Order: sequence, then structure tokens, then C-alpha cells
Amino acid sequence: MTFQRPILWIHEEALGANNPALQAWPEAPAVFVFDTRWIQDAKISRKRLGFLYENALNLPLTLRKGDVAAEVLAFARRHQADGVVSSSAVDPRLKRIGEAIDAELPLGLLDPEAFVELPRPPRLGRFSRYWREAEAVVWKGYSPAC
Amino acid sequence: MPSAAPPSINGDLPRQFASRDALNTLLAQEFPEAEGELSPIRGGREAADEKLRRIDARRYAKSRNNLKGAVTGLSPYIRHGVLTLAEVRDSVFARIRNRDEGGKLINELGWRDFWQRMWLDLGDGINNDQEPFKTGHDAGAYSRELPTDVRDGTTGLACMDGFRDQLITTGWLHNHARMWMAAWLVHWRRVHWKAGADWFMQHLLDGDPASNHLSWQWVASTFSHKPYFFNRGNLERYSDGSYCDGCPCAKSCPFEGSYEQLENQLFTPIPTIPDSGKSRNQQRNRQSRSSGGASAALARPKR
Repeated sequence: MTFQRPILWIHEEALGANNPALQAWPEAPAVFVFDTRWIQDAKISRKRLGFLYENALNLPLTLRKGDVAAEVLAFARRHQADGVVSSSAVDPRLKRIGEAIDAELPLGLLDPEAFVELPRPPRLGRFSRYWREAEAVVWKGYSPAC
Repeated sequence: MPSAAPPSINGDLPRQFASRDALNTLLAQEFPEAEGELSPIRGGREAADEKLRRIDARRYAKSRNNLKGAVTGLSPYIRHGVLTLAEVRDSVFARIRNRDEGGKLINELGWRDFWQRMWLDLGDGINNDQEPFKTGHDAGAYSRELPTDVRDGTTGLACMDGFRDQLITTGWLHNHARMWMAAWLVHWRRVHWKAGADWFMQHLLDGDPASNHLSWQWVASTFSHKPYFFNRGNLERYSDGSYCDGCPCAKSCPFEGSYEQLENQLFTPIPTIPDSGKSRNQQRNRQSRSSGGASAALARPKR
């Protein structure tokens, strides 16, 4: 990634200090945006918003609300950024937002630490199949204390 | 709270609050359409660390299907990346004396990872029935609307109204309560799983379409080999009878009966139940039912 002055987009899947974007760019301005359309359409309760808010307050970031891509791009302009860095997301809604950002300003995505690194993508559809491949790899990291 | 608070400009939401009430007021102003109040469950790393410190993998393995069992309560923090699965995994590793002690809990973390991988695979398709219902009822037989008495918690069933109240006030429910509630709505009330799943998503602090929707579909049988249901004995056992004692419907409990009786009452026989071993979730069904897997807290006793 060759950004000189990126901003960070922190989203709902990575509101922790080990967010890879925060770790890679600890001095970069960061923003979290409450997605007002999603909140309205999915009728998200205040409990969930408060929980997200309290998580976000733990991190050195600016909180906004509105159209997420538009807010992130405005935040980038505010800081004369040459790109946006974020953590890769699973939620298709967040992926679409990422694509909308990337259409205007380059977006670099960093992967959060994986639960288990598998040599090849596991066969899904059945947990047992996945677990047959993953379990031993997960437990490789364990050694009894005594 | 970090000291490096960024400079504020117009439209930035505040970072300083005199109290939690002040946050509640701010949210009411900024998001007037969002219903309810704050949850007593707090966000943030400190609260997450407190839960992490209390992990008891051995007790978890033995008691997790009971509403008062040693479940971790970590799901809201994992869902939002306050804690990564890798951190929780390492925390479990640091607390156990041998692999057996942590087996169940690590397995459940595996479920979370599996659901996320499924979501990456399915994308928005997660909102659709993955397979036909195996209940003998057509998808169109299920109401797309959540009944008002369910939403309001006025059904008269102490258990279900109680779970509803906990969902609305705290945004968290024990997994077994989620399963019972989902089974009741889908199979007894004939509500489509999506209506229930969307309702849960409004309120659950850990609301995650992967775990939530696919678990609802697993109960409904659109993501499993057969429907999940329960009876009063099962609910009574794992809730220590706390709901049944004093329930106004105790004498006309819809969950009373053997599994055979309830199966006949709830489902219409279908000519052939797919049993070719090709059903993508057959293994999951079998595995979870026999082990009481907590991702789908299946404590269904053997018949």
C-alpha cells in the first residue's frame, strides 16, 4: 500500500484496538459512521446503537452519521487524504460501501487476525467438514502450561 | 477513553458524556426512530475484558445449555471485533490445563468462524430459504408478519413473554432461549423464520445475519434435515422450572407432550424425507443434536 496520507474507515465488524487498519496506521485520522439507512430499514434499536457507540468511544476516531460512503469520502477530503484504509468485511452491505468509496478514492483493505489459517479454503456446507480440517490447526497453538 | 480525541467539526458526534444517561439522550436526539433504551450490557474493551476474565471453560462444557449455565456472554464483543476470535481462543488456551477442558468452548468459537465463512460464501443469499421446509408445510403457509402479542410480550406464556422482555431490555438472550423462541414462532405460531430473525436483529447486541439467520433457518428446517422443536420437559429442565412455576398457561401449555405427540401435532408427514446423505446440513443436524452443540443449543433428549 503506497498511501502517504490515508484516513481510516472503521466499521461495525472491527471496533477493537486490534483493527488491522488502526494497527498499521496508528497516527492516521479515523472515522466511524452510523449508517442511517441501515438503522432505519432494519429498525435497529437504541440498545444496539449505544453498544456500537460505547465500543467506538474506546478508539481514537471521529463519529459521524449518514450515508457511510459519502461521510467517509467527506472525511477524506477534510484531511486531504490520498486514500482510505479499512479492514476487510464479511457483511455484503459493508462490502458495497467499500466499493462505493473505492470508486472515488483508492481503498486498501487489511485482513483481521484469523481464527484459523487453513492451507486451502475448507469445504463448507457442513460444520463437521470444516471442523475436521480446522480443529487440529486451531489446537496447534495450544500447549499445556504444565 | 483515549486522550487523542480528534478535533471536532460540525456534524461530528460527541465523544464526551457526563453520564450514560447523557449518551442515551444524545441517541434519542440523533436517532429518534431507534426504539427503546440503552442496554445494561456496556460496550467497550473494559467490559469485554471483564467477560474474558470470567471464562470458565470447564463449567461451560458442563452447564452451557442451562439458562443459568456458565456461558461467556462474549458474543456482542466478538461480533463487533472488540475482541477477535483469535484473542478469545488464546485466552481460553491460557486458562485450561488440558485440551479436554477447552474442547467445547473452542468448538463453539469454531462455529462462529464457520458461520462467517458461510456468510462470505452466501452473501445476501443468507436472507433466502436455503432449502425447502421439511415440516410438511409450504413456505407460503408461514406468516411474514410477527404477531402483535409476540412483539408486545402479551402471549400469556411466561417463558416466551419472559424471553421477549429480556431481548427487548438487554439485547441478549441465552442461545437455548433463542432456539426455543424460534421453534415456537416457526412451528407453533407458523411465522416465517425471516420475520422472527429480523425481529431478533433489531434488538440483539450480537445481531449477526450469519449466526442469526442460519440458526433460524436451522430451526425452521430450511437449513437442516428436519425441524428443531422442543417440549415442556426440555424447557423446564434447562430453565430450572423458573418460567413454568406460576405461568398462567401452565395447565394449557402448548409445549406439553411427548416429542411424538408434538411432532404429529406440528408437522404434516411428507412422503420422502431426504435421507440420501447429500443434504448439506444433515451432518450438522446429527452432530448438534447428539452433542447439544451450543451454537444451536440442542439439549433435545433422546427419545
